Amino acid sequence: MMEELAKVPWAVIAPLIIVQFILMIVALVDLRKIHATNGPKILWVFIIIFVNLLGPIAYFIVGRKQT
Amino acid sequence: MRGFNVLLQKEFREAWRSWKFLWIPLVFALLGMSDPLTNYYMMDILNAVGNLPEGFEMLMPELMPVDLLQASIGQFQTIGLLVLMATFVGAISKERASGMATLLYVRPISFGAYFLSKFIVMSTVGFVSILAGFAASVYYTVVLYGTFEIGSLVASFFTYFSWLLFVLAVTLMMSATFKTIVATSCAFIVIFMGQMINAIVGTFWTVSPWKLPLYGVQLIRGTMEMSDFWWSLMMTIILTIVCISIGTFTMKKNASMTKI
Repeated sequence: MMEELAKVPWAVIAPLIIVQFILMIVALVDLRKIHATNGPKILWVFIIIFVNLLGPIAYFIVGRKQT
Repeated sequence: MRGFNVLLQKEFREAWRSWKFLWIPLVFALLGMSDPLTNYYMMDILNAVGNLPEGFEMLMPELMPVDLLQASIGQFQTIGLLVLMATFVGAISKERASGMATLLYVRPISFGAYFLSKFIVMSTVGFVSILAGFAASVYYTVVLYGTFEIGSLVASFFTYFSWLLFVLAVTLMMSATFKTIVATSCAFIVIFMGQMINAIVGTFWTVSPWKLPLYGVQLIRGTMEMSDFWWSLMMTIILTIVCISIGTFTMKKNASMTKI
């Protein structure tokens, strides 16, 4: 198990994981604070968590209702 | 320039609270990462999903680091600009439509200061974004392919930044002049149709703002005709200033369009 983990090229993968992680957290925090979204809130939770990379971005572009 | 500092602070706070300083740079970073990665792992990707016939062989082109930077800039040019413009095209027109502008316009602010404060915040977001994008692209290129010469890389970065200033000035001018929907389509037509026209018949001229991103790459390659570069850069800066002036003027003229 540990040997397999060591074989993964971390220099290549780590930035991708970090970016995905930050985007997800920020989107979820924002979703928690925002009053209303376009479409049901629970749907956005699933999109943000399960659609990698594109989910949080989609939330920021079309999900937030700007007043 | 009355109240310029206050307005600037307001705009910065607004951009910060809506997370624009965070997610737009991250989008650019992702775009920058995608090209070096997919090119490097192309053979693996094809093997994994391609359903290739037995004994299939393909000759992969020998890619230089600068080719990958050019590919990344190509990504910024389409998806990146789309995201940036779509977020900022409502900057003025949406405020008018929602009636928020009324609260500001009844105060003795100067329209020039207000317009400039918006423009400065937009260009700061743009600067951070392409910084993240270039950093991600260069990081992966250095890890997977080879190194860049730092001087020409910085020159290329600032060339792209001046093009971005032009794009943002056009976007904000359209936002000041029209309603949101019209502004969106006009700004997109100017920027993206300009790129298309440039790609199709662009060989007939050498000086235009739309050529600037390509010139930035050519600076790294070292094949740039410097006089063309300076003329294009100057034209871009002049057009940016013209757009800002027109925007300020139409913003003042359209102040009565606000919902009360």
